[in-house]
Amino acid sequence: MADRVLEIGHFAAGFCGRLFARTGHEVVRLEYEDPAPGWASRTAGELFLHAGKRRIALRDRDLVGDLAARAQVVIVEASTADALAAWGFDDWPTPVKVALTPFGRTGPRRNWQATPHVILAMGGYTQLIGDPGRAPLSLPGHYLEFQAGHYAFIAASAARLAERPTAIDIGFYETLMSLSQFTTVQWHCMGEIRTRHGNEFWSVCPTNLYRLADGWVYVNVVPAFWDALTLFLDRPELTIDERFLTNDLRMQHRTALNEIVAGTLLPLTRSEVAARADAARVPAGVVQTFAEVLDDPHLADRDFWQHVCGPDGRVVRAPRLPWRIDHAPPEPVVLHPVEHTDD
Amino acid sequence: MTDGPLRGVRILDLTHVWAGPLAVRVLADLGAEVVKVEAPYGRGPRDPRESPIAGWLGGERGSDPWNRNAVFVKLMRNRRSLCLDLKTPDGRATFLELVGQADVVIENFSARAMPSLGLDYKTLRRANPRIVYVTLPGFGTHGPYRDRVAFGPTVEPLSGLTSVLGYGPDEPRCTAMALMDPIAALSAASAVLTALRRRAASGRGAYVELSLHEAGVAFSGPWLVDHQLGAHVGPVGNRHPGMAPHGVYPCAGDDAWVAVGCATDAHWRALCGVLDAGFDPAADRAARFAAHDTIDAAIAGWTRIHDKHTAATLLQAAGVPAGPVNTTPDMIADPQVRQRGFFVPLEDRTPVPGNPIHQPGSGSADWTPCPSLGADNQGVLAEWLGYPQARIRALEERGVLFDSPPG
Repeated sequence: MADRVLEIGHFAAGFCGRLFARTGHEVVRLEYEDPAPGWASRTAGELFLHAGKRRIALRDRDLVGDLAARAQVVIVEASTADALAAWGFDDWPTPVKVALTPFGRTGPRRNWQATPHVILAMGGYTQLIGDPGRAPLSLPGHYLEFQAGHYAFIAASAARLAERPTAIDIGFYETLMSLSQFTTVQWHCMGEIRTRHGNEFWSVCPTNLYRLADGWVYVNVVPAFWDALTLFLDRPELTIDERFLTNDLRMQHRTALNEIVAGTLLPLTRSEVAARADAARVPAGVVQTFAEVLDDPHLADRDFWQHVCGPDGRVVRAPRLPWRIDHAPPEPVVLHPVEHTDD
Repeated sequence: MTDGPLRGVRILDLTHVWAGPLAVRVLADLGAEVVKVEAPYGRGPRDPRESPIAGWLGGERGSDPWNRNAVFVKLMRNRRSLCLDLKTPDGRATFLELVGQADVVIENFSARAMPSLGLDYKTLRRANPRIVYVTLPGFGTHGPYRDRVAFGPTVEPLSGLTSVLGYGPDEPRCTAMALMDPIAALSAASAVLTALRRRAASGRGAYVELSLHEAGVAFSGPWLVDHQLGAHVGPVGNRHPGMAPHGVYPCAGDDAWVAVGCATDAHWRALCGVLDAGFDPAADRAARFAAHDTIDAAIAGWTRIHDKHTAATLLQAAGVPAGPVNTTPDMIADPQVRQRGFFVPLEDRTPVPGNPIHQPGSGSADWTPCPSLGADNQGVLAEWLGYPQARIRALEERGVLFDSPPG
């Protein structure tokens, strides 16, 4: 049974609404202010996030309560807890309400100002990206907002499945911390604070981003893949090199090993390296530009692209949902123009 | 939580490593009844000389190291453990009986694994036509890359992300955290909910397929569309195409940094008040981009005299988005995190991240820690299938059920 979903907000709410729209629900998005600055153009962001939704320009915020009363789900993304309350969120009778704010609706930082970049720093991601001795790197793109949107979709869908009215509070900060890899337990159980290690991995060698004749490749050789790596490199003598017999030894001689791997790979092209990796079954991935991702034969073979038609009639390709149910192919979608009405 | 919205949803969890277990943890936190069907060697290093990547729970290997791998334990709360050898005929038959009582089966093996066990979707559907079967191989079950070895860090460069992450065009960097896994995890949990709602409406089970690769590429969506509109995108370090200033600035102390970003003119005016460096508070975004280097230098001059927490607090007090670049102990000590009870000392007093979905009546008070290997063999088989003790004992004796790694 399709829900009517009211969406208010920027990239997190927009991503959540996209999931509802792509899974057969009726999504009404309120456009009420300039969008938050994004990593792509405004047009690209709208084509990706808002196709398939009805978009309404909101002139009078007092009307939001009426719209919320007609929805089964409302998703609101606000800059702070107080900004969320100012929408009248707590008074709406919508069965399932989801609040998305940087720090959640409670706690001493509930009204702190935040950009995604700030949350990425506080949530432990920025500390890990980049080189030791240099500034840490913030993660580009909308990972944070899209993951918060995922949680909003999961929470709202679970509540609708259970037919339970509820109000849900999701903070971006906790979203990020919930998705930490192993830094928290590593600190508590080993007393180690994980920090930046460039493109290497501090406990497994060789694992690095290596330069090629026409780009880069990331190779991630956990111990079980060492023998395969020597085939991949066409350097079988490395299997009996006493410096590299175990991962511990490879870690001790990592500089020498990295030089050998880098020197062997440097003359090769990305397609040669990919073919070698496939043949030797070595975990390796070449760095692709967005143009190359759009031309990726695997994605084409898997019907990954969904056609999106903009208001000007132009058609672009956007990723479909990453999951498919019963092999259903993606249907084309349309980005509707914003309706300038208060009805 | 035992009274969460997914109470009554039964999940058979065949997942391993990170993406799959994280997906199931999210569903378990929401109340699903999860049985982890696991192999006797699936919980960590087989070589007794090796330690797991984040150490042993409580810092001690103990007499049962397979139950003390900290990374494994962190992901496995709110589950029951059934240690069943699916490669045996009895193990396979028992599993298919469990499928008959389940709502969801989820796995993230390679594309070849389930068919090779004789447990492909057609077989599962025969056991239960209403089953929702979720498969999450690295590159999916078909296509030219189907048989590639897929680790999160090696899939990441194929998503396009690596082409925009780095100190500059000649210095690309990886995220260092297998970012495709948590993306795929929440995609998979979303897919499970979508399929369950569809089943509630139609009565039909579902075959659900997703891949680590496609989940990651989906997050590049705006860039991929923008490229078709003629945009050129490259790495910008810590800058942002729509915000200025935007950066990570050095603070007093060792490897101490604060992140600052001005998304609006109001943020900029507030920052001007803090810096008191003669900048025009009325400067628009274009003017700020033009002066970004100069502004960065002024911000760094100010942040260097403060520790990262003080710098963030002073900037926030003025209305500037700012936050310290936190390490793990910083996060765990954060008053915001403590007041909301986010980290849960569930596993031998080790704080593990909680669930960011807060709703009335929910919480971690009734969460259960990761069960020991095979702890629920008897309970699950008796409750789900009505197996008598003698039958369970026979399975143990025949090497189908385990509660520790053999040998």
